[in-house]
Amino acid sequence: MLLDRSKAPEFVIPGDFDISNPTEFHTSNGIKVFLFSTPLLEAVKIEVICKSSKLHLPLSKFQVPSFTLQLLTEGTQRFSEEELSEFFDFHASEVHPFSGFSQEGINLLTTKKHLNSVLPVFLSLFIEAIFPEEKIQKKKALRKIGLKMEREKNASRASMLFRNCLFGSQHPYGQETLESHLDEVNREDLLDYYQTKLWNKAEIFVSGDFNSEEILKLMEELSAIPKVDLESKIAEYSIEGIESCQEEKPDSVQTSIRLGNWSIPKNHPDYIPLTVFNTVLGGYFGSRLIKNIREDKGHTYGIFSSLGEIDDHNYWVISADVQKQFRQEVLEEIDKEIRLLCEVPLDEDELELVRNYLIGQMLGKFSNAFDLVDRFKAVHFSGEDFSFYQRQLEFFRKFNSSDILEIGKKYFSKEKFIEVLVG
Amino acid sequence: MIPYQRHFLDNGLEVIIHEDHTSKIAVFNLLYKVGSRFEKTGKTGLAHFFEHLMFGSSANVPEFDRALERAGGSCNAFTSPDITNYYMTLPSSNLETAFWLESDRMLQLTLTEKTVETQRKVVIEEYKQRYLNQPYGDIWHHLRNLAFDVHPYRWPTIGENLADIEGYVHEDIWEFYKRHYHPGNAILVVAGNVNPKEVMNLAEKWFGPIPRGKVTNDIIPSEPVQRGRKEKVLERKVPTHALYKAFKMPARGQEGYLEADLISDLLGFGKSSILEKRLVRGGNDFASIGAYITGSVDPGLLVFSGKMSEGITASHAEASLNEVIQEFLSLEISENQLQKIKNQSEAMKSYESIQLLNRAMNLAYFAHLGNPDLYWEEFEKKSKIRPEQINNWANKLLQESQASVIHYQSIPS
Repeated sequence: MLLDRSKAPEFVIPGDFDISNPTEFHTSNGIKVFLFSTPLLEAVKIEVICKSSKLHLPLSKFQVPSFTLQLLTEGTQRFSEEELSEFFDFHASEVHPFSGFSQEGINLLTTKKHLNSVLPVFLSLFIEAIFPEEKIQKKKALRKIGLKMEREKNASRASMLFRNCLFGSQHPYGQETLESHLDEVNREDLLDYYQTKLWNKAEIFVSGDFNSEEILKLMEELSAIPKVDLESKIAEYSIEGIESCQEEKPDSVQTSIRLGNWSIPKNHPDYIPLTVFNTVLGGYFGSRLIKNIREDKGHTYGIFSSLGEIDDHNYWVISADVQKQFRQEVLEEIDKEIRLLCEVPLDEDELELVRNYLIGQMLGKFSNAFDLVDRFKAVHFSGEDFSFYQRQLEFFRKFNSSDILEIGKKYFSKEKFIEVLVG
Repeated sequence: MIPYQRHFLDNGLEVIIHEDHTSKIAVFNLLYKVGSRFEKTGKTGLAHFFEHLMFGSSANVPEFDRALERAGGSCNAFTSPDITNYYMTLPSSNLETAFWLESDRMLQLTLTEKTVETQRKVVIEEYKQRYLNQPYGDIWHHLRNLAFDVHPYRWPTIGENLADIEGYVHEDIWEFYKRHYHPGNAILVVAGNVNPKEVMNLAEKWFGPIPRGKVTNDIIPSEPVQRGRKEKVLERKVPTHALYKAFKMPARGQEGYLEADLISDLLGFGKSSILEKRLVRGGNDFASIGAYITGSVDPGLLVFSGKMSEGITASHAEASLNEVIQEFLSLEISENQLQKIKNQSEAMKSYESIQLLNRAMNLAYFAHLGNPDLYWEEFEKKSKIRPEQINNWANKLLQESQASVIHYQSIPS
């Protein structure tokens, strides 16, 4: 029988699937540990995530947390930087300190084979770091080059300016990092942050293949992590945003665009419908923005919209690097696409498409052990667990065009959004 | 180990199946054995441009992405100097959709003028975004051009210049499609929650009827032996001076290739590597430095690249780099150093195999080199290499006469 290629194969919409929440443990000093069991997996990941104590510092010292974390592997009471680097590299283990606006911490990626050797040394970083002066100076010099680099890149610059517009330049989350901030970093401040403020409200996320005996042992070892519980600092900073910002760069052949506004948190009843609105607008390859600006007009290599958060502050933002001479047209088209979503109901075809896409992607989002941890973290800090995704999946199955219109009317019908142009 | 089955259809399509029932998804990875090394001067960037065109329409599919999204899937692709690789992830229950879509565009891509012209603009914007509008973005254009005289590795996959991308005509595109996009030039890997028998049935059903293409022996100009050091100075508005120094090295699968890989690891991978230790942490010339190989099918490059600290010139930095390399050549490599690199390669295998997509891509990539087993064979061979072997090859490869050097100088903006 000749194959009829004109007939698309049947497809089914995947059914529900179970995701079980991680098992919760406590270290003997009371730190919460979330364990994700990953049968047969050789890789082990331990993530220690803390609430940043930045707000306890003056604005000019906001580089202190990130320097404190970066310096942890630069020497301890027992090991020099060289010995630490050699040790972790020899055991094929990666230690990654990270420092965000509202969260900070340190991760260990290793293998089951090396975990027993590596863990004690990893844990020593939590209490034995010595912050050698020359290493601090070296980091500063490197960071200064990094700063220059970010300033040169239109996309990084635009993202910074967008925060600037949201919060205002005198707000901790809106200010630009300057060389003078780096100059202010000194050893005393780092030591003080390390000894009194780092590891604030730590939580530990572990994924690996462990039996119950190994789990007990692990919990015992993780008790070496100091428990710090600082009073929450109620933000003393007021938000004084600005509407738009533009930086002309005559040499640039493209313009980086950021367009967005404040938004709602994950535990808001409208948040899940908003994720669908965002997907339709610019969250996947079939989105309105991609179809219009890239696939129809060819003005950009990529344009997308996303939902973001810093601490309790939520925003949405559209990002793109576009052909310079068409940037005004692109802005108008973005505006048009948003208005259309607020005013014209999605047709059946697009509804089916985005529905099936979202449901199908949900499966892929939970397809491996490390994904699972990331998905959990993505909602945990908003006070949610995996039931968030079950609710989301339910909504994907049943939403209709009026749900999208409603989100549009409620959150996107403003005349003007925050607008940043660089390039 | 990644367990797999390997079959060939009568028309030459290689089919590899890897089962993993821990999730409900499937990965559908189709590799075409074509990259920018098959391109000709004046038509550079065509392999990558063609990758964009594959997402247009085919005889029975008006929009590739929409049809896949409707079945809950997503997709992407990349082009390298050696291969073009397309991949989809979708619910395993809808696997047949992937077969339908991918076989239709292999057999009968439409290539409408609208698709060609829009994607031409999109790729030009991609070129600007990645290579023109980024600090140091044009380095690979210059480094490749300096290092290679005749081999197509002398341009990056995006293309040598914008004019080439602007200049493709319809015949170039059709000819490229006919020549490279047929079953005998492709490797399909289906991985995930799939049943091997069913996969083979689907492969026969959708790809079986596609005629075997004409396998053409493309003659790729081989690069003559380099006679003497090459050097170029660039002046750009960038934050700091940078140095790029590339040495010629053997092709993948040839003697000396794995040794070159180990040499780059020992010298320039990780915080404890020799260069990082000596030049960044123990010295004041470099803000960063690393070493890596291009890992190509034809003889490629072993590259050292670094950014200078404030006020240090690239030529001064190069002298410091040379000093460390000379020392490396004269000293014995310790068992401990070697063991470290081997531990890292072993762990890397564990880390990268967490993702189903990585496993599928690795199977396809090594099948393209000749056999999926090469993935482990390469690793095992590498594990057995002795320190003196590395030392011999280092002395052979790291010669000034084989170097191409770019001093990338920062000028005030």
